[in-house]
Formats: sequence, C-alpha cells, structure tokens
Amino acid sequence: MKKIKYILIFAFIFSIGACTDGFEELNQNPNQITDESLKQDFQIVGSKYAPLFQNLFGNQIHHNLSNESWAQHLAQPTVFVGNANNTTYDITWNPNWDRTYNNIMSPSGLVMLLAEEAELPLFVHWAKLIRILAMSRLTAFHGPVIFTQFGGAQAGYDSEPILYNAFFTQLDEILAFFKANVNAQDMMQFDESYGGDISSWIRLVNSMRLRLAMRISMADPVLAKTQGEKALSDSGGLIESNDQNLNVFLYGKVYHPVTISFGWADTRMSATMESVLVGYKDPRISKFFDEVADPALVPDHPEFPYKGIRSGASLDAKGDHTMYSNISSDFKTVTERRFMGAAEVEFIKAEAALRGWSGVGTAQSHYEAGVNRSFEEWGAAGAATYLANNTDLPIDYDDIVYQGDRNDFVNKMTVTVAWDNALSNEEKLDKIITQKWIASRTNTMESWVDHRRTGYPKLPNIFDNRSNAEDGILADDEFLRRVIYTNGQRQNNAAKVAEAVGFLGGPDEIGTRLWWDTGANF
Amino acid sequence: MKNNLLKKMFFVAIMLTGSVIFAQTVSGIISDESGPLPGASVLVKGTSNGVTTDFDGNFTLDNVASDATLVVDFLGFKSQDVSVAGKSVINVTLEVDASQLDEVVVTALGIKRSEKTLTFAQQTVKGEDLMKTKDVNFVNALSGKAAGVEVRQSSSGPGGSTKIQIRGAKSASGDSQPLFVIDGVPMTNNKGGQPSGWNGVDGGDGLSALNPDDIESMSILKGANAAILYGSDGANGVVIITTKSGKAGATKVNVTSSASVRSIIDTPELQYRYGSVNGAKENWSYTSGDYADNFVDDWFQTGFDLINGVSVSGGNDKTQAYFSYGNTTSTGVSPNNDYKKNNFSFKQSTKVLNDKVKITSNVILSQEKTKNRNRAGYYNNPLTGLYWFPRDRNFNDFKDNYGIFNPDRNLDEMSLSDSGGWFVQDHHQSNPYWLLNKESQDDDFKRVIANLSVAWTIDDHFSFQMRMNYDFAKKTYDEQRMAGGNTTTVARNGRWAYQDFTDSKTYMDGILNYNNSIGDFTVNALVGATYQRTEYRLGVSVNTGMEDSGLLYANEFNFQNIGPIVQVGSTLNNNVEKQSIFGNVELGWKEMLFVDLAGRNDWASTLAETGNESYFYPSIGLSAILSKIIEMPDWTSFLKARASMATIGNEVPWNRITPDNRVTDAGTVSTNTVKPFLDAKPELISTFEVGLDWRMFKSRLGIDFTYYDITSKDQFLRFPLESQLYTSEYINAGEIKNSGIEITLNGTPIVTENFSWSTTFNYSANTNEIIELSPNALDAGLGGTEGFAAPLIEGGSFGDIWGFKFQRDGEGRIILDDTDGGPLKTAQRELLGNAEPDFAVGWSNNLNYKSWSVNMQINGKFGGIVASQTESLLDGNGVSERSAAARDRGYENINAVQNGQPVTQIDPFTYYGEGPGTGGRNGISEAYIYDRTSVRLAQLSISYQFNVEQLDWISNASLSLIGNNLFYFYKDAPFDPEITNSTSRSQPGIENYNLPATRTTGLNLSVTF
Repeated sequence: MKKIKYILIFAFIFSIGACTDGFEELNQNPNQITDESLKQDFQIVGSKYAPLFQNLFGNQIHHNLSNESWAQHLAQPTVFVGNANNTTYDITWNPNWDRTYNNIMSPSGLVMLLAEEAELPLFVHWAKLIRILAMSRLTAFHGPVIFTQFGGAQAGYDSEPILYNAFFTQLDEILAFFKANVNAQDMMQFDESYGGDISSWIRLVNSMRLRLAMRISMADPVLAKTQGEKALSDSGGLIESNDQNLNVFLYGKVYHPVTISFGWADTRMSATMESVLVGYKDPRISKFFDEVADPALVPDHPEFPYKGIRSGASLDAKGDHTMYSNISSDFKTVTERRFMGAAEVEFIKAEAALRGWSGVGTAQSHYEAGVNRSFEEWGAAGAATYLANNTDLPIDYDDIVYQGDRNDFVNKMTVTVAWDNALSNEEKLDKIITQKWIASRTNTMESWVDHRRTGYPKLPNIFDNRSNAEDGILADDEFLRRVIYTNGQRQNNAAKVAEAVGFLGGPDEIGTRLWWDTGANF
Repeated sequence: MKNNLLKKMFFVAIMLTGSVIFAQTVSGIISDESGPLPGASVLVKGTSNGVTTDFDGNFTLDNVASDATLVVDFLGFKSQDVSVAGKSVINVTLEVDASQLDEVVVTALGIKRSEKTLTFAQQTVKGEDLMKTKDVNFVNALSGKAAGVEVRQSSSGPGGSTKIQIRGAKSASGDSQPLFVIDGVPMTNNKGGQPSGWNGVDGGDGLSALNPDDIESMSILKGANAAILYGSDGANGVVIITTKSGKAGATKVNVTSSASVRSIIDTPELQYRYGSVNGAKENWSYTSGDYADNFVDDWFQTGFDLINGVSVSGGNDKTQAYFSYGNTTSTGVSPNNDYKKNNFSFKQSTKVLNDKVKITSNVILSQEKTKNRNRAGYYNNPLTGLYWFPRDRNFNDFKDNYGIFNPDRNLDEMSLSDSGGWFVQDHHQSNPYWLLNKESQDDDFKRVIANLSVAWTIDDHFSFQMRMNYDFAKKTYDEQRMAGGNTTTVARNGRWAYQDFTDSKTYMDGILNYNNSIGDFTVNALVGATYQRTEYRLGVSVNTGMEDSGLLYANEFNFQNIGPIVQVGSTLNNNVEKQSIFGNVELGWKEMLFVDLAGRNDWASTLAETGNESYFYPSIGLSAILSKIIEMPDWTSFLKARASMATIGNEVPWNRITPDNRVTDAGTVSTNTVKPFLDAKPELISTFEVGLDWRMFKSRLGIDFTYYDITSKDQFLRFPLESQLYTSEYINAGEIKNSGIEITLNGTPIVTENFSWSTTFNYSANTNEIIELSPNALDAGLGGTEGFAAPLIEGGSFGDIWGFKFQRDGEGRIILDDTDGGPLKTAQRELLGNAEPDFAVGWSNNLNYKSWSVNMQINGKFGGIVASQTESLLDGNGVSERSAAARDRGYENINAVQNGQPVTQIDPFTYYGEGPGTGGRNGISEAYIYDRTSVRLAQLSISYQFNVEQLDWISNASLSLIGNNLFYFYKDAPFDPEITNSTSRSQPGIENYNLPATRTTGLNLSVTF
C-alpha cells in the first residue's frame, strides 16, 4: 500500500515535467500577424509595399534637419545642441543609412523572396524598383553604399560608377518586365499611387533613368548621354503631366513637416526661399508658406508678408524666430507626397537640350513647360506673367529680430525668370536649376544634389559654420558635400568602410565631393 | 485502519498476559519556540533505534521500551533527554543552544534548515527590523541590512519601484533583479514602465502590494547555489519573504499606527539674482537684480504618511489563523501626488486526519491608487520649467494664469505669452502649474494572491507537500493631458495614454521529502516538480498620439472619443509556461560535515522550436563545522567553512525565437526583420563561493565571510545584421564575470541587566567585468541619454558611464577654442567611470536601556560615479548658483590654454553656457560627474515600551519616534546619488530632473491586546 503512495506521488511529480506540446504556440505573440495568416487576400506579398513606400521618406532628423536644411528650403528656429548640429555642419544626426537598410532593403528582400515563392514576378520587380528609388537617395548622402553586395554581414560597398551602372541595368530589367506585363492587374489593390497601372510605373522607370543619367552628366558623360537618350526615346514615355506624378500615399498619417512646423515649432520658411520667392514675386509662395501675423516683420516687402530664417543661422533662443512663416496650413490636409513629377522631368529635358542630348525639344520650351507644370501642380495662377519677368531678382535678406548684420545676407543670384536665348549655357543652366529648385518644394533631395552638382541656385552660405575636425572642416564659403558614414558602419564594418573611402577618393568627411560632384558644368 | 486494529488486538493480548514491561509506540511533535522542527533526530538512548522528524516536526518510533529514554537532538539546540515512562505521546520543545546561537532559517521552497548546514551564504532580516521606521516603500529599508544587496529607489515618490541587485549585474539582457518568494511561492514583481532621459514616469512594481506588517522575516539567498531550487527565475538571487502566521494560544490583537511627515532634503543650488537678456529663456544676464527667490521652494510641500494596521492572530493545536488589515495614505512632496493602499490578508492552517495532513490557505488582497507620480526627464516634467524660469520675469503671472482663454476655440491654452500661459515654446519645459492642473497620471492596481498548501506526513521518514498559488493583478495606467498643453507632447484636442491589463501567474508544486538518520549519517532529501504559467500585460493599450484627430473632441478621454487614426492595441508581454523537476540531497556526518547535492531540469516554453527547451543544471556544496572537528581555543564558540558550486540556466525572453509581423498604427503591416533564432540556448550562470562563519566569545562576536565568483556565459544579445532579409539577430555569446566579497560582522558588545548593545556591520564589494561580448561586435549598446552613454563593451563593466571630456594638453590644462574661447570637448565619448560603488557598508545598532530602545542604521556607499544631466542644463540655462557666483566675481577660475597661451580666468557664459561651455543638453559630460560616495543616517527609531503589567487587557504597548533618510554624514553629489532616474538597467547612475530626495520623521504606536 505504501508503495502505491510513492508511485502515485512520483507519477504526479513526473507528469508535471513532461508535457511540452503547447510550447510553440505559447511562444508566439497572438497580437502579431503570421505569414500564414497574411496569405489571405495575398497580403503576404501585397501588405509589404505600404511600409516600403512609407519609408521612402523619413522624419525630422532624416530630412528637415538634413537635406531640407542644406538645400535651404526650410530652416530651424530651434537652438539644437547649442547650435552645433547638422544644419551648421556639425553632424549630429545621421539616421538615413539605418532607415534605408532596416526599413527598405531588408523588408524588400523578404518581399522579393515571398513573391518568388508565390510566383508573382511582377511584385519582385516592383520591390526592386522601390529599392532603386530609396538607394538613389541614400547614395546622394554618402556616395559609395552597399547595394550589389547587400545581403551578408560586413558587406562590401559599391563604388559610385558600379552603383549607377547597377541602377541602370536593373531599370532595364524592370522596364522589360513591366512592358511584357503591361496589362497585369495584380498590383491593383496594393498600389496606392497608380492603382496598379503598369504604364504609369513604366513612365516612372523612364523618368528615374533620366534623373539618374542627369546626375552623372559630368562624371561619365558618355554613359549619361546613352542612358538619358534611352529614357527620352523609350516608347513607354516619361512623366509629362502632373496626374502622372509618383505621389507617395501618407496612409492616413499627417504630412510630417506639419508636425515639425505647427506641433513642435521646429521649422520655418528659409531665408533663401523668402529671398527667391519674394524677389521673383512668385505666386507659389502662398501655396508653400503661411503669412506672418505681424507686418513689422516684413517692412521691406509688406505686399509679401512672408519671413524666413537664415539656413545655418546663429540663434539665441527658439522664441526669437517662431513667429516667422510656417509651412502652409494647407499641408495639414494633404494625403500624399510627391516623389517625382512632371516639372522635374521638364527641367531635366531643358538641361538635356543644353547638353545636346537627342530626343528633346528646345531648352526654352522645356524650361517654360517645367514652370507651367509646377504652377499647375500647386494650383497657382499667373505663370505667364511670371515667365515674362526679366527684371526682378531675388532680394537681400535681413534677420529683422536680430541687430546688425547677424544672419543677414546679400543675394548672389543673378538670373531672372524670363528665358533669354542670348545667354550662355552656364547662365541658362542657372535659370533651369533655380526654377527646378523652387519647383521641387516638399522633396528637396534632388535639389540638394543639383546644388552640389551645378552650384545652382547660388545659395548663400550658412551663417554659423560649426564644422569641425571630427566630421571635416569647411571654410565659411564652402558647402557641405556629403554625410559621413555612420558610427555603426565605422565600428562594425571598418574594413569595408575603408574600401568605400578609397572609392570616394577623399577622406570620410563632409567636404569630400561625390563622384558626380565634379565642380564643372560643361 | 488495519494497523490500528492489529495494534489494539496486540495491546489487549499484552494486557491479558499481565506483563509490566513491554515495547510500545511513541509519537509526538518536536518543536521550538516558533513552531515544529523538521529534521530533528529522536533516538532511543543506547540503541540505534531512531528517526528524524518530518515536515511538521512529527515523529513516530516503534518498539520503544516503556522505561526507555529518548534523546532529542537538533543542530543549534540543546540536546534533551526525555523519559518515556509509559507515555505514547511525547511532545518536546527544544531550547536554543545559546552557546551556538544557531538559527533555523527558511531556505528555498520554504524548507527550514539549520543555518549551520548551509553550504552557501544566506542572510536573514527580521520583519521588525524592516518595519521599525515604517518606510512607505518598505523595500528601501532593506538597504544596508544585508551584505551584497544593492537597493536603489526611484524618485517617483510613494509607491515607486525599487531596483534591487544582488552580487552585481549578471545578464546583458534582463535587469538582474532577484526573485521574490512569499512563503515558498514565487511572486510576480512586474515593473511598470520606466522613464527615459526624455520622458516618462515610473510605473511602480509588484512589491508595493505587500503589507510590510505581515512580514515575519526576509531571507536573502545570494548565490545561484541557493537559488537552484527556483530555477532560472532565481538566477539573480532570491529574496524569501515569510509572512506571519497565527499561533496557538490566546487571541492576540495588534494595532499599529504611524504618522510621519516627509519633505525634500534640498533642491539643486539655484541662483535668483541674474535674469535673462532680450527675453531669452536662459538666465545669462550679467547685471544682477533683486528677483523673487521663493517660487521653487513654494512648489514643494510637506508630505504626510499615515500607516495604520490591525492584526488578529490566534488558534488552538489544530487550527491557527491570522488576519490583518493595513491602510496607507501618503501625500507627496510635490502637489497633487498621493498614494493610497489597502491590504487585507487572511491565513489559516488546520490539521486533519489524525494530524497527518495540514492544510494551509493564505489570501492576500491589495489595492493601490497612485496619483501623479513624479516624472523624470524633460517632457511634461514641472521641474524643468520651475528651475529654469527666467529670474527677471514674475513667476506669479504664470502661476495664476497658466491657461489663457482662446476665444477661437472657447477653451484655455498654455499659449505663448509674456503674462501667462508660458513665456516660451520649448519642448523641454512647460508651465509647472499648467501641468499640475491640466495633466494627470492615475495608476490603479488591484491584486489578489491566493494560496493553498497541503502537507501530508506519510510516515516517519516521508512527507509530501503540494502547493497551489494564483497571483492575479489588474493594473490601469491612465494619463490625461488636456488640450492646449505643450505642442510637442499634447495634440490639439489633448492626449490620452491608457493601459488596462492583468498580470497572472499560476504556480503549482509537489515535493516529496525524506529525512532519516542512519548511524552517524543524517539524510535530508527531496524530489519535486513545479509547474508555472505566467501571462503578463494581457489587456489593451492606447495612446492617442500627436495627430489632430487623435481625440475627436477636446478633453474627453475615453474610447468613444478616439479618432480613426489611433491604434488601439491588444497587449501581451509574457506568456510563458515552465515545468521543472528537481532533486536535492543533503547528507550529514556526525553533524560536522555536510554535502549538499542538487539538480534541476527545466522545460521552458520560451525556447520552443530550438530543441533546447529542456535543460539540466546541477549544484554541489560542502560545509564543515571545524569547531567540532578540530579542537579550538575556548574563545572560538563555532567555526564553519563552506564551499559550493552551481550552474544555473536562464531561459531567453518570450517570443524571441520566431517573431512575427505587426500591424502598424498606419494600418500597414510591418514585416519582421529579426532573424529567427532557432538554435537559441539558455544562458548559463556558473557560480562558485566559499565562506567562513566564525563565532567567538560565547557567540558575542561573529564574522561571516564570503568570496564569490559568478560567470555568465551564452548571453542573449541582439546585434544588427545586414542581410538580404533581416536587420538584426540574436546570438548566444559573451561572458560577464562578477566577483566579490561579503563580510558580516555582528556582535553584542554589552549585555547587562538593564542595558544591551548589539550591532551588525555589513560590507560588500563587487567587481564586474565584461570579458567577452560577441565575435563580430564589441558593443551591445545598453542605453544612456544625451551626452551620456552606457554601453556594454568588451573589457568594460556593467554600469560604465561614457561621455565627453574636456580636451586637455600634455600638462592637463583644458584647451580652449581658438576663437570663442570656450572649453573644447573630446570628439568621441570616453569612459568617465562606473556607476557601481567600489564597496558598500551598512551598520545597524540596537541599544536597549530598560524600557527604551534605539535602533540606528547607517549606510555608506564608497566610490562609483553618478552623472547629472540636471546640473548640465542648470548651467546651460544660467540658473546654477556656481554660474552666478562666477558672474559676481566676473570670471570663473580655470587652468586652461588658448592659442598656446595659458589662461587662468574665463568668462562665466563661455565656461558654463550652452554652446561654448560645459552646460546644456550636449555639453561636456565630464563637468557633471560626481562621486557616488555617500554616508547617511538611513534609519533611526527611538522606542519606549510602556509598562502594562497592571493592565489585563493590554499585553504590550510601545511608542517610537522614527526617521528615514535623516541626513548625510558625507555626500559629494549635488543630489542624492542613491536615487535613480529609472530602476531599469538602461541608465545606471544618470539623473535627469528627478524629484529631490526626501526625508521622513514621525511617530509610531503599537499596541497588542
């Protein structure tokens, strides 16, 4: 009888430590979505695209305190980090690398794998295209990046020539596939930009090819011309009207600069924008920015009550400048953001005409078409008057809340709006890029590229130059030319970073020019 | 039954034969003052017929001659001879052997062991010592009372969480908190959210749910050796809480009441004579003025703590019961902060089936409500706006007019204005009175712990025990910010962050015990199994965020009012099942030598799919009572040496093996990019410790010394990964080593009829070393804030604080910028020091004189650093007293060099101001590092015991004057270095706008009826 007791007790004890059947299920989070569940409605592949598109743009530190400041569209009233920060050439935030790899390259890799498994090659090519959209932006920050060798630990970098060749080759593949499947409906429910219309995507592929070709027009003129002409002559066409623009859906989120401007009061119109838009009497100014409430801020141009902050300004207190112009309140209700549009394509065509590429009309016709497309896009009237203005120039800038010439600048831009065939190619290019710069409002990445590539528009230098030996010292009349590699890469992938610096042909500093930044225009 | 019948027949037969001397059966209970003693030996003198008592002190001996003598022996007690004299029931109460002062201690799983036999370090703190000074957060009272136990409290005020760490940080992934066990059953001690350097508030923890008056004692098992019976949960040490039980005898009613006041010890040293220039938010004027200097002090108030309790205990031989009720009401030192707690507990035990089975049940109920815990970091923290306020402005304008009516919206807003609202739009600061009146944080916890245990005495050697415990907590965190607040953190219609969830833990175990003595050997053995199921944070969570449409209508905080853009989330943090079997054998020889062997096998659901879900780990320990083995000089009363080794497995966190995709608040699917970790292994912690327990002069003086060495391997670490599919991966790698010593000295230097003095001194020193991290990454970033970083780096230590230093030349002079003349900071962060102290001491004293007694606890931490972002920003904003003193003087002294020329004086703004100088958010960290060393009078109580002999209805009454954290004998930092921003591991020793430390003084009355 006693034995039975012990047998029972032991049986009880060992029965506890034996059953592990439910473990696998327990260790899953029921509030997550499994791949199995996502197979319903084909979301396993389709649902991956929205976050990819969302991540084509980052947030405050990715753009507002980086390229939007360097391209001088928006400027900051806030004294970040004692005023030694990205905007004053002391690299404090360097987040685009991680965002691009973590949120685009890796997830798109998974999408491509899943799409291949599901035999949906159209989606594979779509993901490939998104990668090019994202990586062509990342390389504009750093130069050599990890692309063709992406996919392993401590991966190698591509030199820029290899990178751009890879972009073009992949665009070829994508284009061929899209053309062969032009009537496919698969993407429809997952494509918030073009509703799954493949012909629209074909126009984007050609337009992207044209953009990238123009970037390298001085670095590799032969390749640039070949690729540019290929884009210009392709039967699929280019983005020619604003309804063909690639707009990225915000997925119900607020356009992020609204939060930065209205919520945090961390950004305002730039002084350069004030100088250019007021000087040219540009009607788009009211579409881009809000008027200031206090007329005392704009004694020099009361008819244009808009006030901007000097880029890389010297600042005492944030409150000194928060009364300057916000971005337009209209942005509070926008639902999408332009990635590439018809105006940009026209301006590239105008430049292509200067460069003698075939397949384009006259530089003037494309220049004026670019301005017209931009006015149409923003719903601004008076393009004809604007284009006829051959007298007005951008104005000098006075930071009215500060005494003396602190933050002030004298305008260096010398071209008017009206086209003049008698001008030199250099002056014509100045006009084209200056108008391209204005038209690019809300997406400054290519304007920042153009400014480094061509030197136009003739932007003022930043006022408070805090560049230092850590990231590279710039003279006060120099502009930042790139962003250093991330600490993560420098620490964990040091050998490959060293190789990349070799490709760069200069130190890993902010003053080192990228491949396409040759310093010459013709 | 059958046996009984046979016995009776046999008895009748014997009676009939008329024999006088005959063999009989004797049974009984062996106990000490506090209850039954398991494992005591009962031997028939002059024979080898003997048994040891079971779990409940029961023994039964057969074949005992009616004239025999029983020898009852238990280590630490005086041996007793008892004549049988024909009795069949013999109950013996053993007296403590005063010459040995040995204690019976409760170790793992509620098992009582003689302290002498232990092969590992264990220290016990009595409940009365913890409760002498009635700290609202009673766990803080543990500080200094046990060697090697590091206690740091949150600055969030009453009901705040506590960071407890035993023998250093062992794991790179968890927070190395010990396991808390109530009456042998693990309890849930989930911590709420912790503030970052930017934002947030302490979410409390699970310990505050206990009524400290219910605690009989707390034992601390420091090593993994001791903890092996709890498995991985015990890898960081175990704190065993034994609660009070009813005692047989007359019913006792105890009433205690304490009232105390709490006040801040000091604010940072602020200046009030230099204001701002041109309306700047910083106070960098060089012209002094006569400005108000009271608005900071006026903000703080005196807090009151009222702690009242009643307990009833009583019972008879069969059934005992204990009931208690406790009520705590506490108001904080900052306005609108209060804390209320109600505790009920009911515990009863009954013996049934001829006393063979004992059923014990225990129910603990608690309810806690905390309003407006003190925040830390910049966001929505009243202290930033309060401390930085421009001296030349009138604070009362803002105090009275914190909201300005906006006719466009028909509501009040904290608008930008010079005469109300707030004078600056700055995400780091808000009008403190706006925050006070318009933003609230209510935390509401309810908890029940119900426990049933059945102990069955099977026979002389075997006993079996089963326990079931259910621990259930419901927690609500409700944070409401009204429309019109700081535009960085409050949306147009306000902001609501709400969490409502339950934490539950089901625990069951079964343990079979075996006790015996065979010749010179004693055996204590057990084999058992546990089942444990946890489900934490099961509920909902919502944060309406910063979008205009987050809340549909202003200032309505409920689910109906949430805009379509807001994601309401289902939450679940931990859904784990663990099963274990374990065994433990303690073999003793002649009560001199003991060997302790244990082994455990765990099955953990968090390792599902890896093939490693089952894992085994062993421990071995030895102890030798040298004073019994070797002849010792007379003055040595007792000497024991002990050594033990153990390995303990620690499973990985929940849901890490194959994480899935997530639906984002934008309605899209965020794809998982963490690589599945299908070959994960449990983390392994190996420990080795040796110790010596030496008591001298009739045990008036004792020394306990321990050296330990703990190595943690196969850490669960996350590293970035650039692959086609994944952005990060987990790996098992790394090695972290903790080694140190612990010394406890206790003595009773004076004992006279009227006066006695007893004292305990604890010393501990721990060294932490990160020996290896991973083959492909050297830094597993831990955290930090702003200029301060707390990385985990190979060759470094846990708690290392990195930051920017001054650039110095070869002579150590600070290098000044060629143009602006400000001190230059190093390009990269460098090691500033370590947050952990070099060593810690705690010294407690008990003095008794007639009816008076004094208890005093002095705690000291020596070495280590703390970092203050608060001070850095005080300088940046020009409100620190030192920046004003420098302006009075016209310069600050400096040993510096500029353009090759020596500089001895520097302009105050250039030195302290944000931008050129040391201050501000990202200034020169080195300037804001302080020595952590502090020595304080942590507790003091002076009690008077009333003479109540004449009163029948009162058996005991005492009144005490009590105080906590009374003053510092020494302190370097401009704030209390033992207060921490966050009780998690991410920001060791980094402080950022925490509430200043508080002291309490009060009266405590205790009456027993």
